[in-house]
Amino acid sequence: MTLADGIPGNTYKIKDIYLDKNVKRRLEALGMIRGTSVKILTCKRKSAIVIKVRGTRLAIGRKFAEGINTEDLGNTAERVIK
Amino acid sequence: MENIINVAFIGNPNCGKTTLFNAYTGAGLKVANWPGVTIEKKEGDFEFDGQKMKLVDLPGIYSLTSYTMEERLSREYILQNDVDVIIDVADASSLERNLYLTVQLIEIGKPVILALNMMDIVKARGMSINTKKLSQMLGIPVIPISARKRTGLDELMRCAYSTAKAGKDNNAGLYGNYDIAVKYDRNTKAATESVAAMIKEKYPDTLNTGWIAVKILERDDEICGKYNIDTDAMSENGIETEIINQRYGLIEKIITEVLVNKDKKSHMTDKIDSVLIHPVLGIPVFMAVMAFVFFLTFTVGDFLRAYFESVFEYISNTVADFLLSMNVNETVRSLAVDGIIAGVDAVLTFLPNIFILFLALAFLEDSGYMARVAYIMDSFMSKLGLSGKAFIPMILGFGCSVPAVMATRTLENKSDKIKTILAVPFMSCSARLPIYVLLSETFFARNAMLAAYSMYIVGIAMSVAVAKFVNVGGKNNRRSQLLIELPEYKLPDAHTVFIYVWEKLKDYITKAGTTIFVASVVLWLLLNFGPHGITPYIEQSYAAYIGKFIAPLLAPAGLGYWQIAVALISGIAAKEVVVSSLGVLFGIGNILSAEGMCSLADSLSALGFTSVNAYSMMLFCLLYVPCMATVATIKKETGSLGYTWLSVCIHIISAWSISTLFFCCARLIAGFF
Repeated sequence: MTLADGIPGNTYKIKDIYLDKNVKRRLEALGMIRGTSVKILTCKRKSAIVIKVRGTRLAIGRKFAEGINTEDLGNTAERVIK
Repeated sequence: MENIINVAFIGNPNCGKTTLFNAYTGAGLKVANWPGVTIEKKEGDFEFDGQKMKLVDLPGIYSLTSYTMEERLSREYILQNDVDVIIDVADASSLERNLYLTVQLIEIGKPVILALNMMDIVKARGMSINTKKLSQMLGIPVIPISARKRTGLDELMRCAYSTAKAGKDNNAGLYGNYDIAVKYDRNTKAATESVAAMIKEKYPDTLNTGWIAVKILERDDEICGKYNIDTDAMSENGIETEIINQRYGLIEKIITEVLVNKDKKSHMTDKIDSVLIHPVLGIPVFMAVMAFVFFLTFTVGDFLRAYFESVFEYISNTVADFLLSMNVNETVRSLAVDGIIAGVDAVLTFLPNIFILFLALAFLEDSGYMARVAYIMDSFMSKLGLSGKAFIPMILGFGCSVPAVMATRTLENKSDKIKTILAVPFMSCSARLPIYVLLSETFFARNAMLAAYSMYIVGIAMSVAVAKFVNVGGKNNRRSQLLIELPEYKLPDAHTVFIYVWEKLKDYITKAGTTIFVASVVLWLLLNFGPHGITPYIEQSYAAYIGKFIAPLLAPAGLGYWQIAVALISGIAAKEVVVSSLGVLFGIGNILSAEGMCSLADSLSALGFTSVNAYSMMLFCLLYVPCMATVATIKKETGSLGYTWLSVCIHIISAWSISTLFFCCARLIAGFF
């Protein structure tokens, strides 16, 4: 599944990022690499998603989110996130 | 050369770097542009213990790759000899992400100090950071500060001073410490060492081979372009990814050992966000906020404006009397009072409105809400083929098109940037407000407000239409995706807001001072001089001849009067001048007063100019060529004469077509009654 399929309140672990090199670098600089935990905060149908990564809130476009493969870690409290 | 210490400030966006920088430089801040690009460069002077220091504020960046102009600029600046010490400003309450830049900075090899900003917030949240351990693990000095509360500032400068001095005294070369902060694992280390050796062999003069080796393995475009080293042997192991992973590995390790009570509660921001970016409530709340901002701008602004007007009237009369008593030549007197003072007056009386608008926008920006606006408006903007970030310049357009066009710098996608630049000047700027006020109050009495507001709606509609239908940019017309940080909400810092608003006001006043001053003088000359020399009859002035030439072209729009034509032409210099020139053209002093408007109504009615013509004129003013300052800014930001002409043409054509369309339809409908 991709980040775009995420449900608010749940946390996901990044498996792979299939996006342009440029975009990948930008995401890396913001802390998103393989193995990073991402929590979904808000999600509007067919539009951008608000997530929390390494303590930072980001708004990320849907097309980008669709390029990030993830695995579900379920509904976790913040404490558990690395 | 004088002994000055050069300090560079660097850090993530939203880390409070600007607040910190301003705290040191104060009003002595100089803002310019980095050569050849449209990115702001801030410099300032500072003295510590008698030692002169030059401070430079580098753009906010997340890392030191070479993908954005800001990153490349910052990197290049640091690598120059000039920088003696780098102050890396980090938001201590989001330490984990901020450290990615720190780690890369240390790798460069120049003296770095980590300034942990926002320590007051860290404390308030019940977190604590072991700065000593952090310093040990990174290998650089770490100074906790709070730019807002002004704590730790002296200590930071003292550290910068001694670190820089030590670097200079040791003469340890530019890159004294070749060791890389991140202790990469054996394989990676071996790889970097062998690449470093290759570099040394091929380019013996290179000093910081360690850093360059890492960058080459990271496949950094700029570095790989400069240093031709064959790394194919190592590339299969995905070493690029390894390096990045290990950096984060170190950061995670540091965080575990250094941070206590990691951020259990950022409740405030989440709670506020649950309303402000609620999927359903988000947009209505935003509309309400904007309505409030405009309410403040127009009501409180107008209230203050009344006072400004009386002051100006007083000044105008006093000067007139004074010049009269001095028996100054009548022509000169006229130039001074009717030309210059009247012109500048029409501009400056709207200062309160501008001030309030920019104050409100600065407030929203500094509090962190503007980033949310980009998110909220993203789905709407996507229908125009733009990202949510493009919305912010549009909002600024209501204040003044010049900063609005400049604000498009934040749009990385070139096609987005150009589309937005073309759309922004249609958002009715505050300079057009005097025109609406004059015409709507003169001709529409009770419906004046409605008439004026309708202009804003039409402006927005045109802006949207231009954004949607104008197809520019390269073949890669994919809509750029939103990727923006939503910072924690905070109470705007008075000092930061003040400096921001002051800069904008200074721009506005300078514009009044120069362009409009010049425009007023030129206009006065054109109106008082004719082919037969100086003339008291406006009808025989150069201005009249020009106006009479243009007027027939404007007739279909109901604006076929030479006085109107002259007034519109004067508006090319700056929109505010339209009002003052109408005053001069019809011989009405203080045209914005009640009596003035009556006189105007009389003069215009005598020409057959009614409320329908007035509305057509308002439409024309809304849409036609933006002021010279805006056109100049468009040229600068697009870097292209072609797009600038495109913008001007779109404006003229739409202005003429729409006011003509309106006028003809209105006449047709009126004909039925």
